[in-house]
Amino acid sequence: MDIDDGAGDRRSRFASSRSCRTFPSKFPTPPIPANYSRLDLSKVRSTALLKPFDFCLCLANPDWESEPFDFLINGVLVRMSLGQFLFRNGISAEKTLEIEYIRAVVPRKEEDPCLHDDWVSAVDGSSPGFILTGCYDGLGRVWEAGTCTHLLEGHSEPVTSVSIINPGGGESFSVATASKDRTLRLWKFNTEDPTNNPLRITAYKILHGHGAAVQSVAAQTSGNMVCSGSWDSTINLWQTDEPDSEGADVSIKKRKTAGEAKESQLEGEAVSSLVGHTQCVSSVKWPEREIIYSTSWDHSIRKWDVDTGKDILNIPCSKALNCLDIGGEGSALVAAGGSDPILRIWDPRRPGTSAPIGQFSSHTSWVTACKWHESSWFHILSASYDGKVMLWDMRTIWPLFVIDSHKDNKVLCVDWWKGDSVVSGGADTKLCISSGVSVQ
Amino acid sequence: MKVKKKSSVQEDSVKEEKKQKGKMKIPEAKEEQQRQEEVDSDSVYDSGAENESSPSNLEDMSDGEGSDSEDYPSIRDTDSEDEESGSSGNEGDLNTSGNDGLAIDHGNEDESDSSGLHEEVEESDSSEDEVAPRNTIGAVPLEWYRDEKHIGYDITGKKIKKKEKEDKLQSFLASADDSKNWRKFSDEYNDEEVELTKEDMKTINRLLKGKAPHGEFDPYAPYVDWFKWDDSNHPLSNAPEPKRRFIPSKSESKLVKRLVLAIRKGLIKPKKDEEEEEESVYPLWGDDSNSTEKDGNHLSYIPAPKPKLPGYEESFNPPLEFIPTQEEIDAYQLMYEEDRPKFIPKRFTSMRSIPAYENAVKECFERCLDLYLCPRVRKKRINIDPESLKPKLPSRKDLKPYPVKCYLEYRGHKDAVTSVSTEVSGQWIASGSLDGTVRIWEVATGRCLKLWEIGEAVTYVTWNPNPEYSILAVSAGQDVLLLNIGFGNEEVQKKTKELLCAETPSTPDDTGESTFVSWIQDETHEGTRLRHFKTVSSVEWHRKGDYLSTVVPADILFRVLSQKSTQTFSIKLGGIAVTSIFHPVRSHFFISTKKTIRQYDLVKGKQIRKLETGLKEISSIAVHPSGDHIIVGSREGKFCWFDMDLSTKKPYLIRQWHKKDINNVSFHRLCPLFATCSDDCTVQVSYGMVYSDLNQNPLIVPLEILRGHASSGGRGVMDCKFHPRQPWLFTAGADSVIRLYCH
Repeated sequence: MDIDDGAGDRRSRFASSRSCRTFPSKFPTPPIPANYSRLDLSKVRSTALLKPFDFCLCLANPDWESEPFDFLINGVLVRMSLGQFLFRNGISAEKTLEIEYIRAVVPRKEEDPCLHDDWVSAVDGSSPGFILTGCYDGLGRVWEAGTCTHLLEGHSEPVTSVSIINPGGGESFSVATASKDRTLRLWKFNTEDPTNNPLRITAYKILHGHGAAVQSVAAQTSGNMVCSGSWDSTINLWQTDEPDSEGADVSIKKRKTAGEAKESQLEGEAVSSLVGHTQCVSSVKWPEREIIYSTSWDHSIRKWDVDTGKDILNIPCSKALNCLDIGGEGSALVAAGGSDPILRIWDPRRPGTSAPIGQFSSHTSWVTACKWHESSWFHILSASYDGKVMLWDMRTIWPLFVIDSHKDNKVLCVDWWKGDSVVSGGADTKLCISSGVSVQ
Repeated sequence: MKVKKKSSVQEDSVKEEKKQKGKMKIPEAKEEQQRQEEVDSDSVYDSGAENESSPSNLEDMSDGEGSDSEDYPSIRDTDSEDEESGSSGNEGDLNTSGNDGLAIDHGNEDESDSSGLHEEVEESDSSEDEVAPRNTIGAVPLEWYRDEKHIGYDITGKKIKKKEKEDKLQSFLASADDSKNWRKFSDEYNDEEVELTKEDMKTINRLLKGKAPHGEFDPYAPYVDWFKWDDSNHPLSNAPEPKRRFIPSKSESKLVKRLVLAIRKGLIKPKKDEEEEEESVYPLWGDDSNSTEKDGNHLSYIPAPKPKLPGYEESFNPPLEFIPTQEEIDAYQLMYEEDRPKFIPKRFTSMRSIPAYENAVKECFERCLDLYLCPRVRKKRINIDPESLKPKLPSRKDLKPYPVKCYLEYRGHKDAVTSVSTEVSGQWIASGSLDGTVRIWEVATGRCLKLWEIGEAVTYVTWNPNPEYSILAVSAGQDVLLLNIGFGNEEVQKKTKELLCAETPSTPDDTGESTFVSWIQDETHEGTRLRHFKTVSSVEWHRKGDYLSTVVPADILFRVLSQKSTQTFSIKLGGIAVTSIFHPVRSHFFISTKKTIRQYDLVKGKQIRKLETGLKEISSIAVHPSGDHIIVGSREGKFCWFDMDLSTKKPYLIRQWHKKDINNVSFHRLCPLFATCSDDCTVQVSYGMVYSDLNQNPLIVPLEILRGHASSGGRGVMDCKFHPRQPWLFTAGADSVIRLYCH
């Protein structure tokens, strides 16, 4: 009986001293909804098996007791009554069962949504200081604490994807946006700028080269390049070379004041192009320095070697794919969703098979976005046209929770923010923020 | 005893002489009568066949033929003497005397013969085989007289006394002494002992051997012809032997020929041995039904179905395990009537306690009804597995992917969406609606990007198939609008603008020449307006994007955008043109009237083929990307598939997949899929695989019926188009929604 409610290792374990056979009988197990049984276990965890000190503490604080927990048996989350669970997994009730518990991952707070003028098509929350969104009105927006601080003006068509190039860049950030006007734009702004009204800024660099709408952009994790996928079925790599010196900055400002913004902007050409997809490249990710993942409507996921420009891996899928993220166990799992309601997880390290290792199918429409948690190996977010954002745990096939704040409007993008908030934007022109998601 | 012997010999001889010397019979009979009287007294007499004439008969005969007997007394005496001397030589003597004294005796003998023969017949009737027994009791059982002292009565009615019985020992001794004892036997009827003579024994032996009873009789005596051939030197006729006696008969040979011919032809069949045909055994326990099967045509005996034999449970006192418990009986009540067991076993201790069968009368009545109303009729059961009648089609699973489920809806139109068109890359779709708007939608998100207010109900939109232009052709009312969508890079935009620029000097000329159409720059929509004088029913682009065909009732017009020129297609059609379509590969052109489809070669300007659909009214046609197959939808809900490789004008396949009008048909550009959409709010997606092998017919498998559209004003799904690259289907409904069905 080792109970440790410490903040450090939350993944403590408690095992009943007796055989666990008594466990379900001790707590009645008629057909109970999954969460009820968890609640039951949570109460047990909170009251009976606590250390006296914690017990007193929990008595003193009535809110404390309501904190839900999740329970793991053999690495699988318990989502039903224990009796059912044992029966389903074929675990003998005679054995002593070790039940791990973790704090349940649920959003505790729904913050005020950030209102946009049009559909929110892209969001990036990789920087803890602000949220970057792209919108169908062609503007990129930077949100800090619920207010829009910067407006990224310049695209003539809807912004389809945004990416923060240096998330941990202190105060000065550079971001990239992709748009249906076949260009990518690179922007630079300083969050320290005092703002009452949203500060309108223009791109410092326009990247031309795609023949059709750019669908996705991704920045190299630690570098100065971005890659973009487009409807012309190519992936282009771009240099995000900052202007040479301060002089250039000055010159831009000067020219901006002179009202010749267009001339001031640098124009960039693609460094190289990764050709191989046959249809629209819907999503690109650049998780490592030399490796780019991409998904396309030609029903494939490809892994590219940046140096050689060849695709190393080609995972066929039966559906047109919309979104992609790399993460999970060893930051190597590929999650992708597409033109069906199933979020699929592949393990590219597995040789000889292209079958997904996991499928999450609680959505009812296309999956438009998916995002791994940056630190947890198990948690992944998904957004769908059915208006729901779901958080999945790799250890169970049911979603941990469903955020329904978009109310049947299509959710187009979703991301983590600050490690404990879920930001999602959709066709209801809102950027919803659910905070307090305690993913360890 | 010697007397007896003689008499018997005499009788024999009389028999022998009967036929030839009948006239001497009568005196002999008289003698016999005398002798009989003697025998009576002596009580020694021959029995059986030896006694030829009864006394009564003899008397009658003597009475009847008294005169005759008186006529020849002398002769009779002499004859009798002769007989006594030796009967053996009698016949021979007579014969020889007859033969010798030919001329003298002839006349007398003729007369005597005739009379003698006559007598003989009468005699044989009356007295032959008759025995004159001493006893006259008749054929009564002799036991009746066992205890009497007499054995019966003689002919005069006197009792005939029984002989004294010798005791057995004495008779045995006597028989042992007598060497002739084996020839003796006792006649119980007449109560006398008869001793057979040697002659008798010989006669008996001869009879046993089957010979004539008299040894003297020669069965092989030489034939004596009684006709006296007086003129035997001369034949009756002097004619020579005819020739036909020596040659084979012609008539016979003819008959033989005829028979041979008939046998050869099989008209006559040689008789078979009937014994062979008849089966020696027959199936006593064989199945009756088999034998009835053989003669199929006739009314045959239909055996009644055999009832199930009763088992233990039907017994009046069945074993306990057969008897259901009360719970089980209650459970029967809950079951359906059909499932309930017909018979519930009950147990009775004795036969006495079995009640009367309650259903007896009812069942009797029903059985009578059955017999009366339902004569048993042989049902010819068709032994065909219904599964085998189905065409062998591949499983739907193997034909994936195909559109199955609707995930996206494109909402925004206010009225029925009449037409959708997909952009080549599959990023956008355009739709036209009866509310007078044309909308451009983003496929992936369902967002309406652009909107044009045309003002008139839009009937048709098509995207220019050439990716170098971003032009949308919209037909609304009498106009065809060419709109610049504004997509694509600068180069595309430049080309598009050039193409749509209507300020060429040729414009007024064209209008003047054809008077059918005019090219007007449309300022409000940044496009070109082509004005017609009649409603445009269909607009189709050529694959190069430079030509446009518009179908106005009774006319087909070709536009060349780059030259801003218009040509009318002046070919006689059988009826009003409904739709037209360009061949996807060759410079051919398909025009459909209401009943037929014609294929024209645009270069040579002549008709290549005419297809008879057999449909009432064609609504839409679509060409397979290979150009060799055409699908046709009709207003009666029928769908036709034409294989152009087949030389027939008839469709390869006709299916009635819809209950109402088919509004549109569509082929997928890449996948072997096609779809038909109908006013019954369904879309039928089918697999249509076309093989490059000419010998292999296209494989058409209906895959999925897509539902979801609501009916509005009697119209259902107005248009369906496949996504150019994905196996997805866009359907435009009269309920103002466009749906995307994904795989």
